[in-house]
Amino acid sequence: MKLFSETGLPATYVALPFADWRTRSDWPAVALANTDPVEELAAHVDRLRLVVLHFPKFSDGRAYSQARLLRGRMGYRGELRATGGVLQDQVAFMLRCGFDSFESDQKGFGEALARARTVFSVVYQPAEDGRAPVSLLRHERRNAALT
Amino acid sequence: MAKNLSGDLQVASANRLADGVVVWLDDAGEWTTRLERAAISRDRRSGEILLLRAQAEAFVVIDPFLVAVAEDDDGTIEPLSLRERIRASGLTFDAIAADAVRYA
Amino acid sequence: MPDTYFYRYDDYDRTLVGERVEQFRDQVRRRLAGELTEEQFKPLRLHNGLYLQLHAYMLRIAIPYGTLSSRQLRKLADISRKYDRGYGHFTTRQNLQLNWIRLEDAPDALAALAEVDMHALQTSGNCIRNVTADHFAGAAADEIEDPRIWAEIVRQWSTLHPEFTYLPRKFKIAITGSPNDRAAVRVHDIGLRLWRNDEGEVGFEVIVGGGLGRTPMIGKTLRAFLPRNELLAYLEATLRVYNRYGRRDNLYKARIKILVHEVGVERMRADVEAEYAETRDGLLGLSSETIEAIAQQFAPPDLPSRPTVVGAVEALKLEDRDFALWLKSNVAPHRAAGYAIVTASLKPAGAPPGDASAVQMEGVADIADTYSQSELRVSHEQNLTLPHVAIEDLPAVYAALGRLGFAEANVGKITDIIACPGLDYCALANARSIPVAQRLSSHFANLARQHDIGDLKIKISGCINACGHHHVGHIGILGVDKNGVELYQISLGGDVDFGRTALGTIIGPAVTADKVVEAVDAVVATYLDVRNDGERFVDTYRRIGAQPFKERLYETV
Ligand code: SF4
Repeated sequence: MKLFSETGLPATYVALPFADWRTRSDWPAVALANTDPVEELAAHVDRLRLVVLHFPKFSDGRAYSQARLLRGRMGYRGELRATGGVLQDQVAFMLRCGFDSFESDQKGFGEALARARTVFSVVYQPAEDGRAPVSLLRHERRNAALT
Repeated sequence: MAKNLSGDLQVASANRLADGVVVWLDDAGEWTTRLERAAISRDRRSGEILLLRAQAEAFVVIDPFLVAVAEDDDGTIEPLSLRERIRASGLTFDAIAADAVRYA
Repeated sequence: MPDTYFYRYDDYDRTLVGERVEQFRDQVRRRLAGELTEEQFKPLRLHNGLYLQLHAYMLRIAIPYGTLSSRQLRKLADISRKYDRGYGHFTTRQNLQLNWIRLEDAPDALAALAEVDMHALQTSGNCIRNVTADHFAGAAADEIEDPRIWAEIVRQWSTLHPEFTYLPRKFKIAITGSPNDRAAVRVHDIGLRLWRNDEGEVGFEVIVGGGLGRTPMIGKTLRAFLPRNELLAYLEATLRVYNRYGRRDNLYKARIKILVHEVGVERMRADVEAEYAETRDGLLGLSSETIEAIAQQFAPPDLPSRPTVVGAVEALKLEDRDFALWLKSNVAPHRAAGYAIVTASLKPAGAPPGDASAVQMEGVADIADTYSQSELRVSHEQNLTLPHVAIEDLPAVYAALGRLGFAEANVGKITDIIACPGLDYCALANARSIPVAQRLSSHFANLARQHDIGDLKIKISGCINACGHHHVGHIGILGVDKNGVELYQISLGGDVDFGRTALGTIIGPAVTADKVVEAVDAVVATYLDVRNDGERFVDTYRRIGAQPFKERLYETV
């Protein structure tokens, strides 16, 4: 498995499985199954440096929601890593949901990751990547036309 | 009609990756669109081997599988199930033609 | 003057669809080169509308909210000629299916589609599917608000949604803006019904967990009244709850209806509302400007006033009995005086329901250009609708449709059959559907008789997945396979009209293919014998129950 990171050198913490981490929640790195209650990290997001979310299969999309809750709702800013079924054709979605590091052994994954933010120059929805959705761009354009 | 109905006769089939067309594996290990050219296995053991051969040639097709067939006196083969008969011989009604203004 | 009276793509929409085509082109290339396995590729092609059927790939093209310009329909005809066998199949979900596409050609076909601002995005796969709406939208006399405005807003929000592209299962949304539901909102994963409350505000009733398939269920009200501008925040909350808690251990239990059923609608509501409390003030709130900008594009055409009573129409009515029948069944009231909504029946006697050749598509496009503001609709009954026809022009439109074989006066009648592709095309099928529909529509072809029988909807599915909506057919027919023989299970009493949505009841053992016509005949004969004056088939059934139908049917077959 190779690790790819958009943020330069990834954190080197050992991520504890959620059940273990719960017993020592001062530890800065945790790995969640996609059925674990991500809400429980809320009180700890400032201390956490690494959260690992798992895709048992690339087609099991639960961790997308966990990622968005961590980033958008709880304001987690540390490294957010995807493991398991991590393939280049889903990486654009993962980036949008707030992941910034990836474990993958797929050939060509690194190149795909480098391109992934530009495959679509337009997005329709707000997500966790700070990109302005089309509705906002249109709004600005209308305002610009008025002034 | 069909003489050998024991269910032991089988051919290997799949859909071709590039265009989805129905194909069968022939004796030479090529995928053919002609059922009459399909390699036939005559017992369970050779059926398993046929499937393994088909899977080894699966680069240009999608998910090969075995199809039970019956064989006539003159060697004509026909799939036993309606589904596979339809896969082999196409729609059971006439589709409307591209330049038709009404369904005849 | 705008060239269409519905949403027009801007450069953002075009860029996105174009980039999507190029992304798929690269994915197809990698698949053909062996860099992607079929398991990895399958969801990617499904998200682009490409299925593998029995004989070939099938491309399912989205016709969002069923609205289509004549230019787009001509392009579809063109694509069907160039990349397929020159015909297409209109489905119950406002899609067009082309049955003979080559994988190698699929990116080019999608690029051609993009030229007329269309796509096949998310017409398959476990994502939010093409949003459907009332096919009379923007023309219906009973409409509170045009549902297509909201369908377009939902279309954009759901397209390539990063969080909801790998849901437990597919997710279908339908929207109606009329009290007379023509969008079957109670049998969708989410149904949205616009209505006006006592304060005079318009909002949505949000209905969740309806659906047909293996476990048919009628949707339950999740929220009685949702302010319109909060629609996306509420949908996002609902989808998030579903994405996290919907079952993934069993394909047949993965739809949201099972989640709602297992946890109960109260718990579902509590979960969604809790999630919604957090999302409602976020970026998904719709500003009135955003709504207005989209609503403007659906502004109805300025229809010049035309006479409401036309001598020539009245004369032809007396002269030509079929025309008189056609006026009754295929022509509906329009909100503008002097206009009507015309349905072109894609169910001529003996034909595969919902199919149209390239020439027929072009012919209907011509008619729309001359008589209906260049606009068409696809109905969930697999017919095409001309939304803005002057009453004066009805004789000419009738004649022109007749030349295409699409003027059968049978809309809502016993030969207006909905049938799924069945075992002739579909890899999941147990039995054929289309030949059964053909035999039934040939048998009941006589128009006077059909009108005497009245409103009677037959719906046929080739397997339990219920794409032919057999559960909600007044007469439902389900193909099953018993030891390699096609058998057909008959159910009675289903319905989809709003407030009356009901699932049919199986009336007895399945019958063989050659007995289906006789079985239906026996059901119809029973009804004709016992009906009260003006009583519809399904009302008679409700009044007297299954027994009399059953007795007659099993005496016959
Ligand atoms: S109902 Fe079954 S047979 Fe018919 S199209 Fe759907 S999956 Fe195929």
